[in-house]
Amino acid sequence: MGRKTLTPALSRITGRGGNAKHACPVAIAMRWRASFPIVLILLISGGCGKEQPAAANAPPATVTVFAAASLTESFTEIGKRFEAENPGVKIEFNFAGSQALRAQLENGARADVFASANAKEMNAAWSEFLVKPGTIHDFARNRLVVIFPKDNPAKIATLNDLGRPGVKIDVADASVPAGEYTLQMLDRMSADRAYGPEFKKNFLADVVSREENVKSVVSKIRLGEADAGVVYATDVTADAAKDVQTLIVPDSVNPIASYPIAVVAKSQQALLAEKFEDFVLSDEGQRILHDFNFIPASPGIR
Amino acid sequence: MAAKKTIPPRHSWWLLILLAFPLLGLLVIPPFALLARTSPATLLRYLAAPAVVQAIGLSLWTSAATLLIVVVFGTPLAYILGRGAFAGKGILEALIDWPIVLPPAVAGIALLMTLGRRGLIGAWLAGAGVEIPFTPIAVIIAQTFVAAPYYVKAASVGFAAISRDVLDSAALDGASPLRRFRNVTLPLAFRSVMVGGALTWSRALGEFGATIIFAGNYPGRTQTMPLAVYIGFEIDMHQALTLAAILLLISFGLLIGIRAAYARA
Repeated sequence: MGRKTLTPALSRITGRGGNAKHACPVAIAMRWRASFPIVLILLISGGCGKEQPAAANAPPATVTVFAAASLTESFTEIGKRFEAENPGVKIEFNFAGSQALRAQLENGARADVFASANAKEMNAAWSEFLVKPGTIHDFARNRLVVIFPKDNPAKIATLNDLGRPGVKIDVADASVPAGEYTLQMLDRMSADRAYGPEFKKNFLADVVSREENVKSVVSKIRLGEADAGVVYATDVTADAAKDVQTLIVPDSVNPIASYPIAVVAKSQQALLAEKFEDFVLSDEGQRILHDFNFIPASPGIR
Repeated sequence: MAAKKTIPPRHSWWLLILLAFPLLGLLVIPPFALLARTSPATLLRYLAAPAVVQAIGLSLWTSAATLLIVVVFGTPLAYILGRGAFAGKGILEALIDWPIVLPPAVAGIALLMTLGRRGLIGAWLAGAGVEIPFTPIAVIIAQTFVAAPYYVKAASVGFAAISRDVLDSAALDGASPLRRFRNVTLPLAFRSVMVGGALTWSRALGEFGATIIFAGNYPGRTQTMPLAVYIGFEIDMHQALTLAAILLLISFGLLIGIRAAYARA
């Protein structure tokens, strides 16, 4: 709604000629008080903004992607490549915990693509008809690692050290996929003779904070505020590796996370959204994910 | 003075009301919308949940501690700012206002840089075996940092408004400085002090960003009500709604209580 629709209506009300073109309705209202309620309604509905270009170019199409926090770096890169290959298309990201994104979708947030860090949130979105069922595909896998500050204040050498009293451990909250996987890892470790049945209990007694986002765990370890943290392998970016060391969690106790992607049911850009999803699943998209330490989902690419 | 209030002509009142209405609606409707979504039965049921009780208890005692600290140390500061005249007062006032304009997340990071294990002061404390992050102390520090300026500002305005003559005549009557403060200055600045205290308490109760960054999130230790609402929003909508409703009722009760105290004074 621009000027074009506003001005004639206004001149009819005020009885003034087309000279009102460059005047703001407020100014007119001041000149002619009786019209103010109508002007107010016009103000509310039409606004009193800047002159809009007469024949605006078609605005570039925007695809909004809701993606798990752990995808921040890889998807930003994928978005750049996609934009380069599709001129006129803009990718906008909203990175947050998958559960937060799902909650936002439930509450009517506008999005075109949803990429979750676990099947649980995608299933929840699917069962509430928030995503198009036919478009759900796993596109990457991720694994957990333990990180600790470079100067290693708690002298951590093996995973067993994480059950020692006094070690300050930072984890993701159980409401976040990374936190859920951490609990699964602890269950498996407690069932494993190498760590012992008390491991989970001892580990949890050392937890000082449950972050609402896995990236916060990385930040707090990088700052040296906690002695160890459980994060995704992909969180140890080249930049993060400057401040932290990594301890590998063996496959036998490592819950490998699957990342599903889907087109949002109410997407206004469904075709472009599907195109973006295809790009993520393409060889090129998978290669980028691999570059960021993800385990690609499609076979044949390593 | 004391002339009759000028009453604007009728039309103008309508214009004022019409213009005020949208904002009034925006301020008043959301809290009621929130309360409308929680039935008293669920409210009571969740009120007994351990996680909820923990969050409420932690929020109440940490914010009360914050208020106490702010009143004890903020009153002298407010007095200095309100009644003192010295070079650099403007700069000092601006510095104290700083936390108000700072986004809470920035406040949290700044606190980590100061009192974190490798922070300016924190590194030194850690050497002495004191580690603040991830403790209720960190919650109180975050709340104090963010909420204290409201009290200091309001109280200093109150102290500044007291006329010099009143204090001088009290001094002439032979009242000691302490008695002068207790019997003259404080009663005269009472309103401002109360308003400042209420603002600080409500701000402390609602503190989120600085807390989650500086103190972390651990139920019973650092997970205050706002943090529990945020985490709850993503897992248990009902719990989040309940906590939000409780937070709303407490803060509303606080405002009503302050108004009542105000009316009596």
